[in-house]
Amino acid sequence: MAHFDESLQAEQRVYADWLAWGTRLGFGALVVTYLVYLSGLLAPAVAPQRLPELWGLSLTEYLAETRAPTGWSWLLNLGQGDMLNLVGVAVLAAITLACYLRVLPIFVRARERVFVAICVAEVVVLVAAAAGVF
Amino acid sequence: MKLPPRTFSRIAAGAMLLAAPGMALAAARVPHGAGLPWWAWPLILFTTTFLMGIVAVVGGIGGGVLFVPIVGGFFPFHLDFVRGAGLMLALCGALASGPGLLRSGLASLRLAMPLALAGSVGGIVGALVGLALPTRVVQAALGITVLAIAGLMWVTRGSGHGARHGADRWALALGLHGRFHDPASDQMVEWKVHRTGWGLASFFGIGMVGGLFGLGAGWANVPALNLLMGVPLKLALGTSGLAISIINTSAAWVYMNKGALLPAIIVPSILGVMLGARVGVRVLKAIKASTARNIVIAVLFLAGIRSLAQGLGF
Repeated sequence: MAHFDESLQAEQRVYADWLAWGTRLGFGALVVTYLVYLSGLLAPAVAPQRLPELWGLSLTEYLAETRAPTGWSWLLNLGQGDMLNLVGVAVLAAITLACYLRVLPIFVRARERVFVAICVAEVVVLVAAAAGVF
Repeated sequence: MKLPPRTFSRIAAGAMLLAAPGMALAAARVPHGAGLPWWAWPLILFTTTFLMGIVAVVGGIGGGVLFVPIVGGFFPFHLDFVRGAGLMLALCGALASGPGLLRSGLASLRLAMPLALAGSVGGIVGALVGLALPTRVVQAALGITVLAIAGLMWVTRGSGHGARHGADRWALALGLHGRFHDPASDQMVEWKVHRTGWGLASFFGIGMVGGLFGLGAGWANVPALNLLMGVPLKLALGTSGLAISIINTSAAWVYMNKGALLPAIIVPSILGVMLGARVGVRVLKAIKASTARNIVIAVLFLAGIRSLAQGLGF
């Protein structure tokens, strides 16, 4: 039983295109911000020289020792080299959400109710995870 | 510049031979990496993950499943940060391969979406549990899981085509069927799935394990899709990658919000594995896949024993 629905092909193509562009953007941001971090152009929140004594600590101990920001508060510290690195990470972690939001209208137009529901549920899960609800 | 296949065989053999003593050397784990300047560890990490990238591609697995037990067991980084990096590593690999797989039809978005939803919820649960449990418990559980993965890879190393079967009620309702072009045989392969309910339950569990340990989950996704749901192996491999890119995203946000993503560990690892994977794709043409897979199983077995021993306090 062959199943070649034009709208499905379109949704898969669109998802692939957005994924490709988002991944390029994320990797680019990750490499550029890491080079900025290594160059020392921006002073980091935690000096790299201190890392060998810190990266063996558990997360709780590390946060207590460094008072590094958690949640979205890194956005307020983008002037610090290590925090700037999180821009690339955030872009990579946001790509899937963007792809889902892009294909949602395609499912809506095709009246694919089950997939609209799955799409919305995934968006809710990802937004909740990103917002730090969990 | 094109190098002859024999040269690639030598590179592959060299990489695999280097990986073993490298691990053995690192086994004499120095607390916090004392004695070396800070930049030496990211450099060692880059080299190690580059080799891992080659071995992972040749062995037909994701880099994340090698990364966490090896780096967690043999490097001076705390497991909390290693799991965060492993998750990002698996996510990046899956994101990078996603567009090509989707465009070629070797991954099905429609098949991945319901399974990834179950996996995303499981991934969040796993990430929260993993960050709350004592390190020793996580390390011991990781050791057991990695040993189980090695066992699963050994048992399923001969699996291939999806069995012929009818689609179940859920699969029909979700429209989980289609066809794709297999370039190897130059034929259109029709597919449909069954045991959809079990598949969803499996992906929840697999997502949880992935979030808990920061592992990519191709080792479990592929057997679940291929052996449980009857998806042809090539489509299972591609769709598994796509599902990982969705599932790991939710857990990655949890790790990021908790502050468990250290750029000094993440970035060299991602770059190393990605570059290694590119070399690995070329090495793959020149080396016997079954040999590489057996080496991966042996490496996983050693890393699993090491992790279990650490967790038990030996």
